[in-house]
Amino acid sequence: MNIERVTTGIKGLDGMLGGGFLRDTANLVEGAPGTGKTTLGMQFIYNGIVQANEPGLIITFEEFPKQYYRDAAAFGWDFYDLEKKGLLKIIMTSPEVSRMDIESVGGMIETYIAQMGARRVVVDSMTHFGRLTEDAIELRGIEFNFINALKREGLTSILTRESPVLLGEAPQDDNLGFVVDSYLMLRYVEIESAIRKALLVLKMRGSDHAKDIRQFDVTEHGFEVQSKFEGQEGILSGSPRRMADSFVEAFIKSK
Amino acid sequence: MAPSGDDFTARLMDDMDPVLLDFVKTKVNSFIKWDLVRFFYENPHTADTVENIAKYAGRNVTAVEPELEDLVESGIMEKRLLDSTPIYSLATDDEMRALVDKFILACEDRHFRVKAVYHIIRGMR
Repeated sequence: MNIERVTTGIKGLDGMLGGGFLRDTANLVEGAPGTGKTTLGMQFIYNGIVQANEPGLIITFEEFPKQYYRDAAAFGWDFYDLEKKGLLKIIMTSPEVSRMDIESVGGMIETYIAQMGARRVVVDSMTHFGRLTEDAIELRGIEFNFINALKREGLTSILTRESPVLLGEAPQDDNLGFVVDSYLMLRYVEIESAIRKALLVLKMRGSDHAKDIRQFDVTEHGFEVQSKFEGQEGILSGSPRRMADSFVEAFIKSK
Repeated sequence: MAPSGDDFTARLMDDMDPVLLDFVKTKVNSFIKWDLVRFFYENPHTADTVENIAKYAGRNVTAVEPELEDLVESGIMEKRLLDSTPIYSLATDDEMRALVDKFILACEDRHFRVKAVYHIIRGMR
């Protein structure tokens, strides 16, 4: 069976995803502040418009749209112009309003999608849904409904989520991780007194994907995935060790 | 008879595009409305409750709510109900959007801003 892919157009990422995200899926990108979640999302939308002729929406719950216009311009992406052409809309709202809106018939988001023929959406960030309820089961239900509404509208989505820690593994009450179709983790890693960034595709429902942990960077061209970390282990701990050191520790010092 | 100082200033300040003069006198006639109009101009697809809009504007709800209602009344903003919660957004009417654009662009000129501030303060007396 031929599975339809939605390419991100991001160097190195589509290869890790087996060709791209699957059509009409919800894809979680989780990372600490500054790791590049929003840049990845903006690039997914921008490339969708200019490379795949797929209009897109950005739904933001915290960062003002004018910041997106400015940040995008730094990469050479003219979001003002795309909005004028009706190919992009950056909607500032709150989780409670977006939820009520998308669950209603003929709401603002549904209308925009129909008018623009939108195929992609970035929701930045899902972390804010946590303020709707303290009940984990209820929150899972809310997130599940919201994601299903995006799929109902034929949207392939990137949902960002903030990681509460800068380095190392983040303890999360991870209902959302179960609800989404794929799960990408962005992490800071300290190697030889320098901070680098690591990307892992933790899960991808219905598709094979790369299992290795890759380095990535946000350059003047946007998000770029690079080679995998060679000769290191414990990357996700935030403080990896050389594999030889851990070998010595495990097999020689323990004797 | 020579005009009084106040009359002279008023005439000087009335030297504005009549459309914008009317806009300032009848629609954006407070500093909070001015801030709100600028915010929605810069973030045109914002749609939210009064509580959240007040947060975005860095002001309190009691100050923002009547101003938003005035902006709805004057056609700059739109209000709709979602599950009986009022949601505010910038009017989609092209003519009104063009007027808002014209006002914000005019505000880039310092002389225009001084005149607009004068009329707002005068209207508050």
